[in-house]
Amino acid sequence: MTYLRQVGIIVWKDLVVEVRTGERTLSMAGFTVLVGILFNYAVNQARVPIQDVAAALMWMTLVFAGMLGLGRTFQLEAEEGAFQGILLSPAPKDAVFLGKVVANFVLLAVVTLLLMAVFGLFFQLDYGQSPLGLLGVLGLGMLGFVSLGTLFAAVSTGTTMKETLLPILLFPLLVPMIYFGATATNALLDGRPVAEISGNLRMLGAFALVAVASGTTLFRFVVEE
Amino acid sequence: MASPIKWRALTAGIAGVVGIVVLHWMVFFWVPTEATMGVIQRIFYIHVPAAWVAFMAFGVVALCSAIYLWLGDERLDMMAVSAAEGGMVFTTVVLLTGPLWGKIAWGTYWVWDPRLTLTLLLWFIYLGYFMVRAATESPERGKRFAAVVGIVGALDIPLIHLSVVWFRSLHPGPVVLKPEGPSLHPQMLATLLTGFGVFTVLFFSLMAYRFGLERARRAAAARAAGRLRPAGA
Repeated sequence: MTYLRQVGIIVWKDLVVEVRTGERTLSMAGFTVLVGILFNYAVNQARVPIQDVAAALMWMTLVFAGMLGLGRTFQLEAEEGAFQGILLSPAPKDAVFLGKVVANFVLLAVVTLLLMAVFGLFFQLDYGQSPLGLLGVLGLGMLGFVSLGTLFAAVSTGTTMKETLLPILLFPLLVPMIYFGATATNALLDGRPVAEISGNLRMLGAFALVAVASGTTLFRFVVEE
Repeated sequence: MASPIKWRALTAGIAGVVGIVVLHWMVFFWVPTEATMGVIQRIFYIHVPAAWVAFMAFGVVALCSAIYLWLGDERLDMMAVSAAEGGMVFTTVVLLTGPLWGKIAWGTYWVWDPRLTLTLLLWFIYLGYFMVRAATESPERGKRFAAVVGIVGALDIPLIHLSVVWFRSLHPGPVVLKPEGPSLHPQMLATLLTGFGVFTVLFFSLMAYRFGLERARRAAAARAAGRLRPAGA
């Protein structure tokens, strides 16, 4: 119970900071909409209908938007030296990690919903039969992404390279998420039933599980001094 | 510094170099030419053992990293970094020999073949491992960060493997470790097994040398730090 409360307090703190400054959400949201506009001109629509590549565009946009937000997970606290305070608090370090993950997940969920709305509008996507299935696919993918991203954001914030190191560490590990996520999204956008992508959902679940478990276990080694 | 590790490294190094010569003799003069792919298939005896060592090295890195985080013994970190450097060399060998073979066998240098892709990703995970180490001001922190990168990389590799396999495969299937027994010509099998043995020995000798170097380097750094300290401290 107290553990959940400790996680909750971190989540609450991060979300309050985010609501008051709007820094990360606004940059991620602006990025998502602008990238949608740029994709409209970048894709040769005379040869490739943009609906055919929409799944790829959605996933890559989420990953890049996520990098903007995740990279700054610990930035504010590192700048103000406030992270020492959090580490000195009685909350165990894995609770701090889980709190950060949940808060980042909420931010990215907002961005994901915005992405679905904006891309649906821009590219006339038909979420038709299974919008919930698509939300499940994106949600599971984002959970894994956010967990690994939060862990490696802590690592890269501790280096002299800061956020520039994050993609080098993170991108090689994202292959399972991108592959299983994008193929499932493709199938759903083609109007396939959710039953057809259950294998992909299981793989995304496994990826999320590995990401959350390894992050929770290893985070304390990243932040200990 | 005639420490046992140095002698062991030297013995293994000599055995490895002799082995490499023998292996190349077998590859070029002894083993028969493969019927469909022709001469280019001989690169197989370098390519496959190098891939084996690259992935085994990463296993060593992950294992040493995990125990390092658990026990905090400096030597385990030195072993991990030595194995990672050796692993990166052999990963590069795989990435250089694979496209050469692919150009002849598949007609193109690069295809999104699962094992080739997995090796390329492994190379980038190794890269991250070294960049994290290089980009930290405190060495202690660099060791912990690198260990975390090594462990998470190793945990993710099975999932990456599944995704690249499902993506598509042109790669020749297993020819040695399969239920009905090896399907290779005995001379080919002997050459391949020699390759596995030689590359493994060579890897461990390089790792032992690198370990000795790392230890000497850290000892020198510690001595230098000691000299800077005021007398009596």
